[in-house]
Amino acid sequence: MDSLANLGDGFLTVLTPMNMLWVLVGALLGTAVGVLPGLGSAMAVALLLPVTFSLDPIGAFIMFAGVLFGGLFGDSISGILMNTPGNSTAIAGTIEGHKMARTGRAAQALATSAIAAFIGGILSSVLVVFFAPSLADLATLFGPEEYLALAVFAFVAISAVVAESLVRGLTALVIGLAIALVGVDGMSGAARFTGGQPELFDGINIVVITVGLLALGEVIAVAARRGTRQDTELIPSGGRLWLSREEFRLALPAWLRGTSIGVPFGIIPVGGSEVPTFLAYGTERRLASRKPGSMFGKGAIQGVAGPEAAGNATAGTAMGALLALGLPTSATAAVMLAAFRQYGLQPGPLLFERASELVWALLASFFIGMVVLLILNLPFAPLWAKLLKLPRHYLYAGITVFAMLGVYATSSKLLDLVLVLAIGLLGFAMRRYGLPVAPVLIGVILGPLAETEFRRAMAVSEGDPTVLVSSPIAATLYAVLALGVGAFLIQRRSAALAKAA
Amino acid sequence: MSTAEELASRGGPGEFLRRRTGLVLPLLMLLVGVVLAVGTITMDVPENVAWPGPRLFPTVIAIACFVFAVLMAVDVLRHPEPERVAAHAEDASSDAADADAADASDVAEETRVRSNRPAVLALVGTLVAFIVVLDPLGWLLSGSLLFWGVARALGSRRPLFDAFLSIAVSSIVQLAFSAGLGLNLPPGVLAGVF
Repeated sequence: MDSLANLGDGFLTVLTPMNMLWVLVGALLGTAVGVLPGLGSAMAVALLLPVTFSLDPIGAFIMFAGVLFGGLFGDSISGILMNTPGNSTAIAGTIEGHKMARTGRAAQALATSAIAAFIGGILSSVLVVFFAPSLADLATLFGPEEYLALAVFAFVAISAVVAESLVRGLTALVIGLAIALVGVDGMSGAARFTGGQPELFDGINIVVITVGLLALGEVIAVAARRGTRQDTELIPSGGRLWLSREEFRLALPAWLRGTSIGVPFGIIPVGGSEVPTFLAYGTERRLASRKPGSMFGKGAIQGVAGPEAAGNATAGTAMGALLALGLPTSATAAVMLAAFRQYGLQPGPLLFERASELVWALLASFFIGMVVLLILNLPFAPLWAKLLKLPRHYLYAGITVFAMLGVYATSSKLLDLVLVLAIGLLGFAMRRYGLPVAPVLIGVILGPLAETEFRRAMAVSEGDPTVLVSSPIAATLYAVLALGVGAFLIQRRSAALAKAA
Repeated sequence: MSTAEELASRGGPGEFLRRRTGLVLPLLMLLVGVVLAVGTITMDVPENVAWPGPRLFPTVIAIACFVFAVLMAVDVLRHPEPERVAAHAEDASSDAADADAADASDVAEETRVRSNRPAVLALVGTLVAFIVVLDPLGWLLSGSLLFWGVARALGSRRPLFDAFLSIAVSSIVQLAFSAGLGLNLPPGVLAGVF
């Protein structure tokens, strides 16, 4: 019951007028960025990082909570109305959602998706509140070997799952690991790959990398696509925004199923919500086909409800894993980790002791943010859609201005602007040739951690490599990883063969 | 290193390469690998550092760069992009973007996924110009230039209206973030005005 008391304190912290304002601002900004095609939560948090410098940490994180979930609420709007999902996490929900909109049920699709995001987010936050402290206690048992195993797990899982081919995923991971090498090596003090530039001694700032890869890369991609025919017809959404009893009866089990599919994926590092959302979509489709009169292909409400709930449930538990283990399981969580570091905080088991006020305030703001977002999205979804009517060139010009502002404001170094442009071009090339971006971020964030923990383990064992697998926890992690990736690759191969046949 | 040679030896000009522009990625990996290898060899390592020192990880990643450069190159060479180019928007929705894109396509080399190269070049040029003039001119003017340039590169065709809009956006940012939140933005030539 400690959790409840702590959460109560968290609510008391958040429920001040100023902090409520930050939740609201965060929710508005997050939804706005989420609505824009190609931009999601991770980018929204990265853009806001420098802006929140002058806030106190609690205010900043309360705002991040709003931004994070706002991005997830928003990304389905453009998917449903324009068939251009705001983010990869919204693709699965878009398939049926856009069909619903085409058959005149746009408002209901938007409502289903907003309620789904709400249910998934709330339920997973409840789980986080009750289980994150015990997870943190478990993590205090972890030594260097276990952390190395977790990092390796994240590397392989994300590279295998996110990309269409293992080679592409691992290539992206290696790019991230290489970027993370720049800077002074913390353990020996040797300057690595800095070219003698003192400005690079601290390494390349994570804000530079995320803004370059996610924001600038997308803007350049938009420029490259200019003039190609795109299906960008915006379907107007009108009529009743609430669901009928019949629709509710169909959607409710799908919301709950989607949530239960999404929850475990927050803890496994497979790069966020793509996998659970598609799993939820597949499940709903199969369940519906057992009964006569399946609406799949014609705009099935379950096809929106399941994936959207799964996506937000994953995001919720991913935050739990980040707080308790210090392990980012998605690109968004990686950026949140950067945010913690910027305030001198290291997520992980000790965070619950050292910064318990902040942790519980953050968790409480998840709940408040979710309620605020439901209010902002349910009646006002058609208003958000108006954002898509603004000329695209002004929207992306604004994004570029904020991206450059954010990067410059973090450090006041021109070199960072040059770097962000270079990384933006890299992000564009990766988008153009089908390399996933998430493994780069995971590599950048966890690369230094993996190296440090490896060298610590080696130092303790005096160079005996068997120490890496001698701990039962680490050995179990490697075994699960080998089995999981093996099963996944076999399944994908057989799926590919079935497709070819 | 193999990719460059492979390219040269197999390099049937034109169409062969045009369907395999993805080769820039293995080339990039190769470059990163070389930079890492040279940097690792020339690294100043303090004395008395125990194994595994600061060189081990860079070595591993440099090798990984070479390995994946080769694997990616093989992947790209074996799976070229489709021969036909994505359909062009002759009568697409946004009229302004179109008029320009139509004449641009005559000039630009066609790729599989149609890339609007003039637009990309204009965008990148704007960003470079912004970085160059930021310190001398200050945020207000260079920020306006950035917004104006990006909007134009993305297809806006109302230069005068854009100019006013850009200055407005840049001023709002200056007021909100510099005066309001205390971020440090360069004042430049307009130093005394604010």
